[in-house]
Order: sequence, then C-alpha cells, then structure tokens
Amino acid sequence: MTVAAIRGADGIDLMEQALYITRSQQLDYLRDDFSRLYFGAEFCERLIPAVDEALRVAAFAHERGLGLTLMTPYVTDEGLDRLDRLFGAVCSAGMQLEAVFNDWGVLDLLRAEYPDVVPVMGRLLNKTKRGPRIMNIIDKLPPECRDYFESCVLSAAPACDFLKQRSVSRVEFDNQLQGVRLDRTDPVIKKSLYVPYVFVSTTRFCLAAGCDDPACVDYVGVGPCERQCREYVFQLDNPVMCVPLLRRGNVMFYVNGRLPDNLAGSRFDRIVVQPEIPV
Amino acid sequence: MKILSPLDSAAEVDQLVDAGAGEFYCGLLDERWHERYPVISMNRRPAGKGHFRTFADLSEAVQRAHDRGAPVYFTLNEHYYSAAQYDLLWQYIDEAIGAGVDAFIVSDFGLIAALQARGCRVPLHCSTGTTVFNRRSIGFFRGLGVVNITLPRHLSVEELRSLSAHAHGIGLTVFILNSRCINVDGFCTFQHGLAGREIPPMYRNACMLPFRVSAFRMQEPEAPQALPPDSCQVRRQKLWERVHVDDHPCGACALLDLHAMDIGSVKIVGRGNPTERKQKDVRFISGLLEDIHTGDGSRERFLQRAREQYAQVYNRSCRPFMCYYPELL
Repeated sequence: MTVAAIRGADGIDLMEQALYITRSQQLDYLRDDFSRLYFGAEFCERLIPAVDEALRVAAFAHERGLGLTLMTPYVTDEGLDRLDRLFGAVCSAGMQLEAVFNDWGVLDLLRAEYPDVVPVMGRLLNKTKRGPRIMNIIDKLPPECRDYFESCVLSAAPACDFLKQRSVSRVEFDNQLQGVRLDRTDPVIKKSLYVPYVFVSTTRFCLAAGCDDPACVDYVGVGPCERQCREYVFQLDNPVMCVPLLRRGNVMFYVNGRLPDNLAGSRFDRIVVQPEIPV
Repeated sequence: MKILSPLDSAAEVDQLVDAGAGEFYCGLLDERWHERYPVISMNRRPAGKGHFRTFADLSEAVQRAHDRGAPVYFTLNEHYYSAAQYDLLWQYIDEAIGAGVDAFIVSDFGLIAALQARGCRVPLHCSTGTTVFNRRSIGFFRGLGVVNITLPRHLSVEELRSLSAHAHGIGLTVFILNSRCINVDGFCTFQHGLAGREIPPMYRNACMLPFRVSAFRMQEPEAPQALPPDSCQVRRQKLWERVHVDDHPCGACALLDLHAMDIGSVKIVGRGNPTERKQKDVRFISGLLEDIHTGDGSRERFLQRAREQYAQVYNRSCRPFMCYYPELL
C-alpha cells in the first residue's frame, strides 16, 4: 500500500499524520499533510543516528513547524550512552521533543536527565501477539481467547496508571491483522497507529550483518556489522503464514496496509506512516 | 552461585536437589485456564508437558523443596495479560501464595503494577521478558522493588560484566543451558503451540519453520533487485532451519566469569524435560561449579574441563552455533 493510498483513507484527515524516516535522505517523502516527523532507530543500537544527522533533521522539522519524535531502540550500556549524547545535543538545540522508548532504561534516562522530552511507549513494549499464524485459527477460538488476541496491556487499568505515573501519555500500536480493541483502554493515554509495516520479532543475532560474506553463513551471535540491513530485504514465505514475512536487519515484519474500518472512531489519534521498512 | 532448575513435579525435587539444584522455577496450567485460553499460556509454556496440574501438587513440591532449603519461584511471565484475564489470574496468584511459593517471576508491567496495588508481599523476580539490557533498566526495576532479574540471552560476557557492576541490591540470573532463543524472548510476538504436535506448521516455533526466501538489494527502494536463490545472502537467512535452538545450547564456559561477577543464579531451561534430563543438566553445571570452588583458578584449565565435560555428558562436541558465549570458544 503506498503512502498516498494510506493518506487518502477515510477519516485520516481527522488524525495527526506523522512521517517515519530512518535516514535524512527519506525526507523526500514529506508532503503537506504530515505535521510530525519520526526519526531514528527503533530496533538496533548500531543504527542510532549520528548527532549531526539528528540535528539536521531536527532543524528541518523546526523550520517547517513539524513536531519531532525521536525513535529509540532497546540498548545495551553502550547504546544508552549514545542515546544520552544524542538527546543532550538535540535538547541543547532547544527543540521541543517527543521520544519513543522501547527500553525501560531509556525511559529512566529521559525522566532523570531530559524531563522536558515527552516519553512515548513504543510498539516493542506494547506486547500484543502479532504472529500471522493466529489468523488461521482466530475464528475458531473461544471468545475469551479471541478477545485476548485483540486486546492489549492497556486494557488493564494498573498498566495505564503505571504509565501515567511516569508521565507516559501516548502508546504506539501496530496495525496487526486481527485488529486491536481500544474500547476498554484509558482514554487519557493517546494511541498512535503505525502503517503499513507491522513489527513481529527482533534479535541481536542479526542475519543481515555479514550476510554477503560466505564465511559468515553459519555464524550465530552478535557479529561485526557493516549495515547490510540498509542494503538487503528478505521475504520469507511459508504456506502457514497468511502473509509473507519481511526480514530487514535484525527485525521481522509483515505488511498490513488495510486500515481499521472505522478509523475516525477507532481511538487512534495519530497515524505513523512508514514509507519504507523502518530499518 | 545457585543453580536455578526447572521443576514440574514434587517427585523430582529430591533428585534435583541431590544433583545440585539450589532453587526452582515452575508453572501451572489447569483446565480452568485451558478451557478459556486453549492456545494461550499463563507462563510462556504452551499447554502440555512442563506444568504442575494442581495446586495440591505444587504445594507438596514447595514443601519438599523448602525441607531441602530450596526456594520455589512461580512463573507468571506472559508478556501481557488483558483485563479480562485478571479474575482467573488472581485465583492462581492467591492459590500460589497459599502453596507457599517464594517469588513470582513476572514480565508484564501491568501485572507488576497490579500486584503492588494489591499489596502483594510475595517478592517479584523479573523474567527475561522484561528485556533488561542496560544498567538503567536494572535501576528501573530495582526502583519497583523487584529483587531479581533474569537477564536476556543475547548478552556477551563483557556486557554481563558491565551490568553486574550496577546490580547493587538486586540479584541477577543468567541463562546457562538449553533453549537459546534466536529472537529476543521478551520482544517476540510469535505465538508457539497454536496447535498440537499433529499439525507441525502450527505447533513448531515460527522462527524455525522452513521458508522460501527471496532476497532483494535495495539500492533503489522503488526498484529492488532480486538476488539469486543460491546466494550466500539467502543461505544465511535459512540459518534457523539448519540450527535447532534446543540442540543442547550451553554457556558453561562462562561459569568462571559469572562466578567472578557475583552472578547469583544460573538458569537451566527445560520445565518440560524428563527428570533424568533435568538431573543430567543440573549435575553437569554443579560439577563445574564444584571445580571452580576447588580448582586452582586457572582459566585455561577450567575452559578445557568444561568442554570435556560437555562432550562426555551430552555426547557431542562444543559447536559455536550452540554456544551461549561463542567469544569464549
């Protein structure tokens, strides 16, 4: 589904529209309907942008009156230190910022050192079941079981309170095939919907790293990397999966460009458009 | 350093303690849960082997373990629970408390919050599902009153060393044997066990299914170029069909380093394994821990001994792709 088709969907004009890019070269996808820019690395600390690139993107957003959301991955101590430097630089430039965290340690960093940055809980921490095999049986499951697959952690009030106590008032969602019911979630917590790439799984044992070296074909581990993830995409097909899986770098996705039927009444107030697989 | 052993029956407590287990973890699934949620677990293990079936059994197991000085931790470590599940969940929690369990192993931050809101006094251990990869995550969960964290599988010895330096006032558990998941457990949204073994494509781990792989070079995103099917890029993507995550993966070589870091527990995976296998696993690790205590501290000698013992116990040589810490090979 193209960016244009997503942006032409019914009800989308009532939502904030954000463009999600991982490299400054992708700014070419920007169109007038977008009021926010998402930028950064969501899945791999090796792809955390350099400070100068982040500052360029931030300046671009600022000049055009776009909101800016920095994307961050799960991180080791090394990645945490890189994010600290990144936030330090972007915040010193006086930018109003959101940051998507997919790591509780990053939330801790934000609250301790960058309290003016608005934290947003990312889709990796919003742990619904997204494996496509579910769709083979979902219509045959007992209603409680189906309800579980269509639910999320926010259906539980203590989870919402937990987030609100930590100044988290937005959570990111994938456009999973089975849909997601938001009717029982706390309306104070806002929800974003990512289209069309749905996150399924991630690893530190990246199969893109070193993939063009025959000597690395059977290597299992966290190996050296030359960002082959930026060069290759792999499609994985198996009859039991109702949609192809896409592997890019250390992440597995599938595509679901079909938006919820009643987008305007869906309780999503922001749509995050991924023009390319976000790696 | 204690050995955290899987447990799924009262009958195996004494055998496992005799083999060297210092603490246990377990789960329970009964018909109450299975009727409502036939393909969803309460504790990351699909229905079938590896669960206690009744709280009476669990209570007996806990009593026996306590008689032998070993605590028992109860797994409530599914990545998320929906609001509709809590009525049943509270029943299990209350009965587990009644059975005398020593801690809950949890992953869902909503459940952590719910337990604390309820004033639950049972200590909380973070499952690997909480994805603690850095020092600030340790601090975050320590601030929530968690007393132990099971660190993720995909960390190197040096990364563990860095984390252990910041683990003041909280215990750390590290995987040592079996089930070296290829994805980050805590972030994986694939659902295992969607059917019985009789339907392999729905039963098997999704990550290890055979896939037809198409590879594309993305220099021009609008015009990707297909790579030949026999390219090394494609062959690499089919790695998980060649390597089985449960072909006796092992991290025993790291025991010397883990001991030096004051890691509190090393975890053996395998609640569903037969007792004999659990005993073998526990004995293998406890033998090496004994070597650490009585040996001369020589790193080289310890590593050699670990590899020799692995070969002797499991009848296979060390293989880099089955090694939790391949940097030590």
